Amino acid sequence: MSTAEPGKMLPVDPRPTYQLRSTANARIWQRFMLFLLTLCALVSIATTAGIIIMLVYESAGFFLNEQIEVGRFFTDTKWTVGQTQGELSYGIWPLVSGTFRITGIAMLISLPIGLITAVYLSEYASQRTRSILKPTLEILAGIPTVVLGFFAVKFITPWLLAPLGDFKTFNAGAAGIAVGILCLPLVTSLAEDALRAVPVSLREGSYGLGATKLETTIKVVIPAALSGIISAFLLALARAVGETMVVALAAGSSPTLTLDPRQPSQTMTGFIVETFKSEAVTPGTVNYYSIYAVAAVLFLLTFTITLIGQIIRLRYREVYE
Amino acid sequence: MNERKQFYENPRSEENRKKKSNAFATVCLLIASLAVVILVTLIGSIVASGGNWLSWELLTGVHREDNPEGSGIGQAIAGSLVLCFICGAVALPVGIGTALFLEEFKPTNRIVGWLHSLVQLNINNLAGVPSIVYGILGLTAFVYMFGLIEPIQANNPPSIEIGATYFYQTKTLGGKWVTFPAEDPEQTILKINEPVEVTMPSGEIVMLNVLPKSEPSPRDDAVRDVTVFEGANASTFRKNSPIHFHLPFSKSVLSAGLTLALVILPIVIIASQEALRAVPDSLREASLGLGATRWQTVRGTVLPAAIPGIMTGAILSMSRAVGEAAPIIAVMGSVAGTTTGLTSLMDKSPVLPVMIFRWAGEENPGFEHLSAAAIIVLLVFLLIMNSIAILIRYRHEKKQS
Repeated sequence: MSTAEPGKMLPVDPRPTYQLRSTANARIWQRFMLFLLTLCALVSIATTAGIIIMLVYESAGFFLNEQIEVGRFFTDTKWTVGQTQGELSYGIWPLVSGTFRITGIAMLISLPIGLITAVYLSEYASQRTRSILKPTLEILAGIPTVVLGFFAVKFITPWLLAPLGDFKTFNAGAAGIAVGILCLPLVTSLAEDALRAVPVSLREGSYGLGATKLETTIKVVIPAALSGIISAFLLALARAVGETMVVALAAGSSPTLTLDPRQPSQTMTGFIVETFKSEAVTPGTVNYYSIYAVAAVLFLLTFTITLIGQIIRLRYREVYE
Repeated sequence: MNERKQFYENPRSEENRKKKSNAFATVCLLIASLAVVILVTLIGSIVASGGNWLSWELLTGVHREDNPEGSGIGQAIAGSLVLCFICGAVALPVGIGTALFLEEFKPTNRIVGWLHSLVQLNINNLAGVPSIVYGILGLTAFVYMFGLIEPIQANNPPSIEIGATYFYQTKTLGGKWVTFPAEDPEQTILKINEPVEVTMPSGEIVMLNVLPKSEPSPRDDAVRDVTVFEGANASTFRKNSPIHFHLPFSKSVLSAGLTLALVILPIVIIASQEALRAVPDSLREASLGLGATRWQTVRGTVLPAAIPGIMTGAILSMSRAVGEAAPIIAVMGSVAGTTTGLTSLMDKSPVLPVMIFRWAGEENPGFEHLSAAAIIVLLVFLLIMNSIAILIRYRHEKKQS
């Protein structure tokens, strides 16, 4: 860095030559700060490690308990943990099916509406409609989930669903719709980002060949943004699977193995909250350990979905210059 | 092939295609406006249900069983504010620190590079972990501390504790509760056999008379007030100072606040990273070119430029924390109210979302309206926070342009 030929740019070296220019004090300070920042970064690693160690260790407490046979966890069709009378059954399927029933309804609502809203925002919307829709979605995204749960049980069930059929006070349908509302802004904003990342030149090429806006959108823009859209769907799916307060309020507390959206359905998250709410969690009991076993299944599920979403987004991303 | 043929041979098809395209635009608009309909219905139904229940009693009162008219969210508001403060005090420095580590100190060797990509991947995954799982982590890590520290038993003092003073209290013959310091709080019941110095309810310090059991009870009220029979039981009680602290944290606002900090940490990191990326490299290069170290560059140049963006993200993630209920129920249980209120970070406290959850599940229909009223308060709270964020962003944009 000592001499430069006149008229020629020096190559930019992001690393300054400390030895020549900085005081020793500043260098020590920098080392110290870097050390602190590294510690901060390690907090997030420690969190993941903490979650995994905790789930493995404590669900081992469940599966190794003398009252528990591991096989029945995956084969039983009833879940009665936490109920005081009757035989203890601990098949995870009613909870898993409850989760997927509600998630399924939520996805049926949020995916099409979210994708179409995203298409509208990125391809059609005028500045004015955009300035209404975008803040609306942002507010919707900021609504606490417990509020949506309240909305589901006090509005969606009695006013929207009850006229349609024999819906129970707590049912999978209302919870599914509310979770769908919850996922809608997420799907929309991620899908819109993906659609906007498609360069204008692709659209112009399509118009130049005589395609209409609809044809351009469906045949050019959406395929080009597909990896982003799929990863948006997967993130919304993970969010729906892990959603807790809506299902705790609106889906009821009886684990059922059915496909009927009118019936109550307890999800994995719903069971966990229900157990905490009843304060029946003394460390060392089957009840206590079952929380960890259910949480381990839940964590594995959401972690896998998020990971696949990320891989799709990074690996299959179309990069345009 | 077919389509192309159609296009050349049938000129009307172009008109059809245009019609289809326009129809699609209309359908899109209709479906997109569903979001507005949903939001309006949501807010409308909540205001209709709870609007009339907003009152001063609601804002200041406490939960009362079977009495929705007399119940309020005073403690819950205080609890939410304290929680928000703890959560911010932990999550913001750690989150911004991690973002700086990832964005401003790019790896120079392979081990650090490996650490960088691990942290980045990990953060993206943590953002997808359901908040209830964080709640369970908080319960295990903060409330029970992985069982490494002996759990707190009822009436027994924790082994590691500061800011608490233990007293024995006993009732004199005159019906006054008198207290004296406990030397060994492990012993929960003490038999009084010899005179001790005690504090009267009025604050006066007197000597407690101990009468043998055989003696008759004194008549004079002034004497009765400071006299007990030999062998009278005194039991421990604890006075907490505001800095009361013990390990494990047990079910307390501190545990809940730390758990919430973990919940929003990935969001804070991602938002701060975006704010840091928006700072043009030319600023960094200018600073480095003047001979500043990388930390000096961060401190003097990058952070001041990025701080409005970071603050916006921080406030938005805090508003997420204010609305979280699931992890708090896992850590503190669904607390409706405490008798003493919040005296230290080791106390339990109700918080707004948990209150809403509890009331929404009550049988008494009055609580439904109360729950809606509490939702309105929560939403106003969030609205204020978001407005601040928007204001910061707006002023920053104006300054930059």
